[in-house]
Amino acid sequence: MARPAKACPLCEGGIRVLNYKDERTISRLMTEQGKILPRRMTGMCARHQRQTTTAIKRARYLALVPYVKGYAD
Amino acid sequence: MYEAVYIFKTEIAEEQINEKLERYHALITGENGGEVTATDHWGRRQLAYPIRKQSAGYYVVSQFEAPAVALPEFERLLKLDEDLLRYMVVLNWGEPTAAMSIQTRADRKTDDDDEDDDGMPMIRADREED
Repeated sequence: MARPAKACPLCEGGIRVLNYKDERTISRLMTEQGKILPRRMTGMCARHQRQTTTAIKRARYLALVPYVKGYAD
Repeated sequence: MYEAVYIFKTEIAEEQINEKLERYHALITGENGGEVTATDHWGRRQLAYPIRKQSAGYYVVSQFEAPAVALPEFERLLKLDEDLLRYMVVLNWGEPTAAMSIQTRADRKTDDDDEDDDGMPMIRADREED
């Protein structure tokens, strides 16, 4: 079945380049546990998905977002 | 154009942090002829996970222009600093983003209304289901 094109949330939001410091946007692109959401869930365009992966990985390293959420510490 | 993020221990005083930053940045500006264009103190922030048993850190972001040869020495100094929980130096590609803190990013203006609908025909649809 042909599915209607889902608009890329970042293009819609007017974000050209996703920055790793943009915690608010980044956390919307992750699951509850802190996994990166796949494109089939978000409808993101390829370009922004690539930016998202680097941004999330950088943000994780800087402890802005968790690697694994809810992991007992 | 580079961007560096530093995460300091929260125990150390603000003056000490400023002192350290000056020391780091001296390696960029000094004889290497680089230039620090922006420094932004985010201040104390909760870490998403503990780093070296610390649950919070003092974040500072700075942007600078520097020749590549200056970086090894600069990063070496960062590595040696015990009070620096973590640091990251990255290329600041794309448009030169201001060193905004998370709080100020909230009211980011969305100003590119053009972009991506430049008459490209939508080439999807009818190639599935067979």
